Amino acid sequence: MGTGGPAGPATEPAGPAIETHGLRKVFGAIAAVDGIDISFPAGRIYGLLGPNGSGKTTLIRLMAGLAVATSGSVTVLGTRMPSRPLLARIGYMTQSDGLYSELSVWENLSFFAAMSGQPDVTAMAEILDVVELGDRRGRPILQLSGGMRRRLSLACALVHRPTVVFLDEPTVGVDPVLRYHLWDHFRRLATAGTTLVVSSHVMDEGDRCDELVLIRSGRVLAMGNGAEIRRQAGTADLESAFLKLSGVPTRGDSQ
Amino acid sequence: MSARRIAAIARRIAQQFRRDRRSLALLIVAPIAVLALLGYVIRDEKPINTRLGIVSLGGPADAPIQAALNAAATQAGVPVVDVGTDAASGRAAVQAGRADVVIVLPANLASGVATVQLITLGEAPADDGARLQIVAGLIERAATQGPRLTIEHETIYGSASADILDTFAPALIGFFGFFFVFVLTGISFLRERTGGTLERLLATPVRRSEIVVGYSAGFGFFATVQVALILLFALGSLSVPRIGPVGSFEVGLGIANAGSPLLAFVVIFLTAIGAVNLAIFLSTFARTELQILEFIPIVIVPQALLGGVFWSVDSLPDPVQAVARLLPMTHAIDGLRAVLLRGAGMSDGTLQIDIAFLAGVAILFVVLAGATIRREIA
Ligand SMILES: Nc1ncnc2c1ncn2[C@@H]1O[C@H](COP(=O)(O)OP(=O)(O)OP(=O)(O)O)[C@@H](O)[C@H]1O
Ligand SMILES: [Mg+2]
Repeated sequence: MGTGGPAGPATEPAGPAIETHGLRKVFGAIAAVDGIDISFPAGRIYGLLGPNGSGKTTLIRLMAGLAVATSGSVTVLGTRMPSRPLLARIGYMTQSDGLYSELSVWENLSFFAAMSGQPDVTAMAEILDVVELGDRRGRPILQLSGGMRRRLSLACALVHRPTVVFLDEPTVGVDPVLRYHLWDHFRRLATAGTTLVVSSHVMDEGDRCDELVLIRSGRVLAMGNGAEIRRQAGTADLESAFLKLSGVPTRGDSQ
Repeated sequence: MSARRIAAIARRIAQQFRRDRRSLALLIVAPIAVLALLGYVIRDEKPINTRLGIVSLGGPADAPIQAALNAAATQAGVPVVDVGTDAASGRAAVQAGRADVVIVLPANLASGVATVQLITLGEAPADDGARLQIVAGLIERAATQGPRLTIEHETIYGSASADILDTFAPALIGFFGFFFVFVLTGISFLRERTGGTLERLLATPVRRSEIVVGYSAGFGFFATVQVALILLFALGSLSVPRIGPVGSFEVGLGIANAGSPLLAFVVIFLTAIGAVNLAIFLSTFARTELQILEFIPIVIVPQALLGGVFWSVDSLPDPVQAVARLLPMTHAIDGLRAVLLRGAGMSDGTLQIDIAFLAGVAILFVVLAGATIRREIA
């Protein structure tokens, strides 16, 4: 693959897998990401929670090196982003499916595998089984249901066994049973050392993450695991915690 | 650059084409159908009439053949008109529209081999061609015995050997080589940008240059197949014998090609690569497929009007000519005409300029296309 092999030392840097400093991204008058400092140690699942337009996708694109920060910095696996060679070790599932609709399931998967590195047929077959599309390899995308496309999109992001994974609302449209299996798979990946950043606005997925970052208007509202955030807000569930931290008056809220 | 990734992109484009047969058909069948239609219209048009003039430079010695020609003309229903007694008055008669074809019988007709001159106007080569065929038939019939006659064709305007299709076909080949590839690449790359696949692609370690080269290879392949088939159809001529109820017919236009088809191919291939990358570049400025189609009047039509499809670049007003010389289509058409009509080879000065210009344009558009594929899309 030319000179563009995976960057970084063979041994993982001791520091966090992902780190940002004073990260800002401004579109005209809007600051989509407005000064975010995070430090994510490797091998864990991080949840980005926030309402529509809060800046989740923009933050992920900055971390994946697809957008250039207005100010501040992103470091992934010790490399300052954006870095093209490092992308071989990053998996990114976009919020829209981003698949070639004329191609079959297998053709899409092998295309993205070829783009990310050496395509590995075993890895391709394995990941298709994880998303339960193993029996639909030859199907054109046009004939898949919305949830199936979402699953294939996820498979395309994971097929090259990345070290750091960004998943932008991966479980939207996926049925509860498969959603349960997918989160199991995410956990297995994390246990094996992969760092996952998963965005969602479904609060009940928050408890599946090791650490949550609640964002609103491009700023961090709260950080910590589900229990910590509930305690901080003094609420019984994440949803009301989020509403309360956002300053929205909720039932039984004296403010 | 990674050859594997480039190949993967090119292969993906081929797979998409395989699933989209209609676009593939558009790419190949449409240009051939248009050429065939044009060939049919131009070639099978009947000339209104043929008024023949006969000029004899040999005096009384020519009397027998002149009489034989007159007889053959009468028999064939071709009216013979008086056009004077020398070549100059014959030319004047053609120019004034009193005669359509003038036969000039040479002074040395009795002495073995002789050259007979045929004069036509040369304004409508297709009409002239059909008339010449009739007159050649008359001469053949009139000169069954006596000296062997060779025919030389002279026109008042234009060149004697061309028919409209001959001059039009290179222009159409150049036009099609640009047009279809431009539209298909533009839409395909726009879908890549709007459908989220480009974003995804850019999240892999792929280089911009690999995307551009992969696209050029993928669409270049189909442009190659397209152009090869068009050239084969335009230049070739295959007689298909009668099969049952289907009468015998000709496939291919059999356009005279003086030069190397390979060189013609080089010209059109460079044109297509330029079109692929111009389309990638311009797809940045389109939000929808409809807006890609809106580039047709902006990008394609001026090139068709100024590039020499309908009238020659030399006949344009000077300032317009200067603009025309900057258009890739102008050089594609000029190059194809040089190769196919004039038989120009690589040593030909204007062909060298055309090829160098097209190569330069292709490189420029490759660079522009690469510049629009940025990881930072927003
Ligand atoms: N390319 C862009 N140009 C201008 N503004 C943008 C652009 N991308 C995002 N924004 C703006 O930045 C803000 C954050 O958008 P972003 O897509 O990051 O939100 P999100 O949290 O992912 O929302 P959702 O839950 O709807 O996916 C929004 O106000 C959006 O309008
Ligand atoms: Mg989003």
